[in-house]
Amino acid sequence: MALPKPLWQFKEPRKTYDALIIGGGLHGLAAAYYLAKDQKITNVAVLERRYFGFGGSGRNTEVIRANQRAPEILPLYVQSNKLWNDLSGELEFNLMIWMKGLVGLAHSDAGLNAMRMRHETQTRMGIENHILTPEELKKLVPALDTSQRAAIPIAGGYFNPPAGQVRHDAAVWGLSKGCYRLGVDLCPGVEVTGIQVKAGKVTGVETNKGSISAPIVHMAPGGYSPEVAQLAGLKLPVVTLPLQAMVSEPLKPFLDQVVVSEGYFCYVQQTLKGDLIMGAHLDPWQSFNLYNTYEFASEQAYFILQLFPDLAHVKLMRSWSGLCDMTVDGCPILGATEIAGLFIDAGWGYFGFKSSPACGKNIAEYMATGQCPEKIKYLGIERFYTGQFIPEVYIARS
Amino acid sequence: MGFLIPCPNCGRRDVYEFKFGLEVKQAPGEAAGLREWRHYLYFNQNKSGLQEEWWYHAYGCGAWFKIKRNTTTNEILSNESETNKE
Repeated sequence: MALPKPLWQFKEPRKTYDALIIGGGLHGLAAAYYLAKDQKITNVAVLERRYFGFGGSGRNTEVIRANQRAPEILPLYVQSNKLWNDLSGELEFNLMIWMKGLVGLAHSDAGLNAMRMRHETQTRMGIENHILTPEELKKLVPALDTSQRAAIPIAGGYFNPPAGQVRHDAAVWGLSKGCYRLGVDLCPGVEVTGIQVKAGKVTGVETNKGSISAPIVHMAPGGYSPEVAQLAGLKLPVVTLPLQAMVSEPLKPFLDQVVVSEGYFCYVQQTLKGDLIMGAHLDPWQSFNLYNTYEFASEQAYFILQLFPDLAHVKLMRSWSGLCDMTVDGCPILGATEIAGLFIDAGWGYFGFKSSPACGKNIAEYMATGQCPEKIKYLGIERFYTGQFIPEVYIARS
Repeated sequence: MGFLIPCPNCGRRDVYEFKFGLEVKQAPGEAAGLREWRHYLYFNQNKSGLQEEWWYHAYGCGAWFKIKRNTTTNEILSNESETNKE
């Protein structure tokens, strides 16, 4: 049954635009959406090689949070949380957001110290966060094994209320709807094969559907960032690693928070449907191949059982993998490039999903005004040459 | 699926025994400045396709060696020791 008015319609790209976005994931869609909504630039096309949401947008584990370490980037995640909460209403599309809060677990004194340091930073920045003893953790998450039986017992933890879950497919569909309503062209099946540069300024792109000209081009290709950046002759400070995650059969609701173990390097959350999303294992070698390994599943299952022994014999439904373009400091490359009019959004590792609306909003402002917004001023590629790294950390198993 | 890495000493072993040592890069000369060294250290071609790269047999004999691997399929084309044997 067809809707009287479709949520979106895909288009063949026209020959010329005011701005082009390469990549139809959440970052690309959010950039296009905020370009149209905030900056009133609606003559925009989003070019996607496969289908919208093919990459990390549909392969993440749906966690949103603002409990990172570095004050340079925390405001961006805070803004993202707020935007996620506004988007359902704004797009008139239910993103099924659930601000359930996140419980972090430390399993050693060193882990506790790192946690306290992050707690201080977050408190100073106005992010609600509570340090908890094992007894308090047990009260909050009754299924958690806080005894001394685990191979590495829980030493303490924290509860970070401004965290939760967003249905990632709904986010892709909702932003597609938002873009379409504002007049942005959504063009799937368009592969960018070249980026045109004249006298140090971007002039457009070559695609499998012909050349398209535009004075502003934004690259938001997720894990495929090196391939796209190379079209403009740019080398990036990233290595692309494959991340694996898995989901269990649906269970009765028993877990009301995202639970992250910083000692076992695993996390689990229960969706509204009842299944458990578990991750994540980063294979520490470069690969663009989307595969799953038995080692991953058995190791993650072992970790999860150390935390929740009652989950023994629960069946796994699916596993999948996605690509993470990792930088050395755990922070992205977001901003202008040495080519005028060419912008880049890459190097998110596995922080891409949670950050997508704020990235879109800030880069849209940068693209429209030429002024770098305050929230992303530390994220330029130049920091890798000046050595001014951001003290963020990755915590996934690798 | 995981895959096997050909160690020059131990033969084909499970990839989880190894550590990946990044793509083979040309180090800048002694006269190079800090900027060039940082470019060498942090920037990668990060190629999707065939590339030459370093591996370290961390949970084995401890050898560092180079192989040619297709990063899109994880297929390993050759390594020096095998080529030498032929």
